[in-house]
Amino acid sequence: MKRTLPSCIQVVLAVCVLVSAALAQQDKGTSVKAVQRLNRAPVNREVLQVKLPRPTTIKLPNGLTVLLLERHKVPTVNFSLWIGTGSLDDPKDQPGLAKFTADMLREGTAHRTSAQLSSEIDAMGGTLNAESEFGATYTEISASGFAENADKVLDLMADVVLNPAFPGDELDKYKRRLLAELEEQRSDPSFLGQERLYRALYGNGPAAIVSATPASVQGVTAEQLKQFHDQHYAPNNSMLGVAGDFDTRQMTALIEKYFSGWKQQKSAGATPVPGAPAPYKIYLVDRSDSVQTNILTGELAVPRNHPDYLPLRVMNHVLGEGTTGRLFMNLREDKGYTYGAYSSLDADTYARPLIANTEVRTAVTDGSMHELLGELKRLREEPVPSAELDDARRAMVAGFALSLERQTELLNLWMRVKHNGLPEDYWDRYPAEIAKVDSAAVQRVAKKYLDPEHLQVVCVGSGKEIKDVLAKYGPVEVYDVDGKKVAP
Amino acid sequence: MNKYLVRLTLACFSLFITSAFAADAGLPRVAFTETRLDNGLRVILAPDHSAPVLAVNVIYDVGSRNERPGRTGFAHLFEHMMFQGSENVGKGEHFMLLENNGGDFNGTTNEDRTTYFEIVPKNQLDLALFLEADRMGKLAVNQVNLDNQRNAVQEERRLGIDNQPYGKAQLEIDNLTYDCFAYKHSTIGSMADLNAANLQDVQDFFRTYYAPNNAVLSLVGDFDPAEAIEKVKKYFGAIARQPAPPPPPVCEEDRYGERRETVMDPLARLPLLIISYQIPPGNTPDNYAARVLGDVLGTGKSSRFYQHLVKDKQLATDVGVQVDARRGISSFYINATPRPGVNPEDMEKAIYEELDAVAKSGVSNDEIEKARMQFRHRMVQGRESALITAIRLGQYAVYFNDPDLINTMVAKYNAVTTEDVKTAARKYFVVNQRAVVVAMPEPQAGSAAGQPGGQQ
Repeated sequence: MKRTLPSCIQVVLAVCVLVSAALAQQDKGTSVKAVQRLNRAPVNREVLQVKLPRPTTIKLPNGLTVLLLERHKVPTVNFSLWIGTGSLDDPKDQPGLAKFTADMLREGTAHRTSAQLSSEIDAMGGTLNAESEFGATYTEISASGFAENADKVLDLMADVVLNPAFPGDELDKYKRRLLAELEEQRSDPSFLGQERLYRALYGNGPAAIVSATPASVQGVTAEQLKQFHDQHYAPNNSMLGVAGDFDTRQMTALIEKYFSGWKQQKSAGATPVPGAPAPYKIYLVDRSDSVQTNILTGELAVPRNHPDYLPLRVMNHVLGEGTTGRLFMNLREDKGYTYGAYSSLDADTYARPLIANTEVRTAVTDGSMHELLGELKRLREEPVPSAELDDARRAMVAGFALSLERQTELLNLWMRVKHNGLPEDYWDRYPAEIAKVDSAAVQRVAKKYLDPEHLQVVCVGSGKEIKDVLAKYGPVEVYDVDGKKVAP
Repeated sequence: MNKYLVRLTLACFSLFITSAFAADAGLPRVAFTETRLDNGLRVILAPDHSAPVLAVNVIYDVGSRNERPGRTGFAHLFEHMMFQGSENVGKGEHFMLLENNGGDFNGTTNEDRTTYFEIVPKNQLDLALFLEADRMGKLAVNQVNLDNQRNAVQEERRLGIDNQPYGKAQLEIDNLTYDCFAYKHSTIGSMADLNAANLQDVQDFFRTYYAPNNAVLSLVGDFDPAEAIEKVKKYFGAIARQPAPPPPPVCEEDRYGERRETVMDPLARLPLLIISYQIPPGNTPDNYAARVLGDVLGTGKSSRFYQHLVKDKQLATDVGVQVDARRGISSFYINATPRPGVNPEDMEKAIYEELDAVAKSGVSNDEIEKARMQFRHRMVQGRESALITAIRLGQYAVYFNDPDLINTMVAKYNAVTTEDVKTAARKYFVVNQRAVVVAMPEPQAGSAAGQPGGQQ
């Protein structure tokens, strides 16, 4: 087999404008606890500047956007198709319809049975998956395999997307499996926390829902799946990304072969407009045999293309990214309350939340609540010291070199840019944009998006042990593990 | 057991080195060199210029199998202490230095080894080597840090085991499967033993096991080998060799008759069945045969378990297979969730029928071919990551004294024939070597806050 050399990635060493004096000084001015800086390790002060290779972008006559990222590092190809529909398009009385439709794509087409699809993809050592996550604005069908099988993998992928048959016997079996999953997830404390938090954040809106219900599973028919598919799966609503070992011209021809017959539709995916944020409240999910309390706090942030997104990203890094965030340093490295304490910022074409979470032994629920809420307050009330801010900005840019390793990760970065309507040179400008975020900007977004009047707090744990503790922090509403509100 | 929640999904990653694709296996060959420093440190260098990163892995030949009764969980607790500071690195500074310079890192402990790794932009080679060398040579521990990390580890146990459905069952399966202490007890350890660990234990363990002659350093990525080996010598060369640690206990294959246990689990809502069979150690022909068998039975939706038990008979909603490749006697695990309404015993019987069918009639050529393709695809995907490659090189060196397994493992897997699979099924899927744990949901004690007449 003849292969070309991996294309060299453009790498430029440049003195980073972000870091300034951060590394030269002691921890004076750094307010992170549990850190003792000796500054004796040899650090290269230059940030390795990398340029992400850009994909070739084309549009088929039927409106399908295609991103091709040719990389010859390993002899494999990855496909990822984002179809602009998801749970936000579910009918109100049928949560999960988008998920059921995606899950059933693999269960039979006009040309192949469920078992044939599985045999054909497995025989190539490949993968073929369809997934529609609750709250996401797209449904993803992904596939992978060896480069020499790209044609066959794409054939299977196109078949499940374009010609699903939704056979009745397979649907019945699927429903039974899914009902068991719904039962099982209620034993998982992190599911219970998510369920309650998204309800608190989005009220009665479609983004509040994180799971199907037994009734919605039992009630769904093959006809409804077919309708949902016909209405929402369309090329003009979709983007196909390909990364790996192929020739761009040949791959384009293959994609045309399998996807040019896909018919356009009028429909566009729904984007929810969140209502007014709910007032501050604490939700207790009473899981009586818990030995830990799962604490989550959340508040809605901004769409991915909003100007506040990058300041929020920096704020999130300071608060709860990895092992250097304030939450980890305080709740774990200083207090020993937990194995981990983090925060994460989600964003899509509509406002998703910034969530902080930790799991602590029941006895230190009070102290953990105090520290976690205290860290949010500190970000609102005190500017982030310059050395700590420099560290965060440097970390966010320096880590970019690591994303050059894997083709799926690179492809995903570009698909996000396209999906969220960001400019084509977004990643080229990213380091400079991060550098512009100053501590005033971080404090401004902290005040706005960590607003104590609208923060939602969820605790999953042993009600009899923690209910009174939580009451010290505000009004508490109690739910059972089945999601039912418990009378006070 | 990880130092902190892993942000890198290691399972999806792997390594790649040169552009020379071996036409037969379709796998790029990993070219590496080996050196041994005067103090005994084994050094493996695999340059790869495909991305501007480098990965460092330091693996120590010590795991929970080296623990003594009364100190279960100690190897892993010790791993946490390695992030708490050394002579020239303050508490918390290790995290700061790596993350703030674009790196990612972790440490993990299992029965057979403890490993520490970082991946950094290519201009931070000195930093990564310095951090590993400083803690290998001059670990700094104190009572405050030990108490702090004991707490963190106990929360790790609660998070992963005590507060999760099926946590107890997962620990119980190895307790039943093995008689030798080394593999019988869990890596996470008991709460009582974690409480008993003291500063003297930490110092003794460090002196005994954390020596250059008991470690392998692997470096993979975008570096110049001549320059790199000089830096390795500079940072690690002065660390003193220690007497060889005591040999670990050897676990023999046990023939004990079937062992069963039912675990009542108040956190579970559905039953779960875990079955294990003892199989030979990793990197032996029979272990590869067991892995092929595991893939035929459990990998992909066309696998026998999925097609027969989940789809055709609808006895299970999910069946998972995991085949160990330990340094000692390994395990072939089957996890299965019965469909609600199905008697777990009926599902269990159907699983044994599948195993008996393989023992009687073997598997088809198509099934073997499929397993080979799946294995090859998994291995080649791993080649994309310098970190996965560094971890694999180090692990193969410590486990089997053969880092070149990274290049030869696909051929070893491919060497398994349909006849080998049938023979292995006959030999190992026997009642005499089977342990079974059934987790059954136990109604919750009842929530005082949630019930009328409760404490409120």
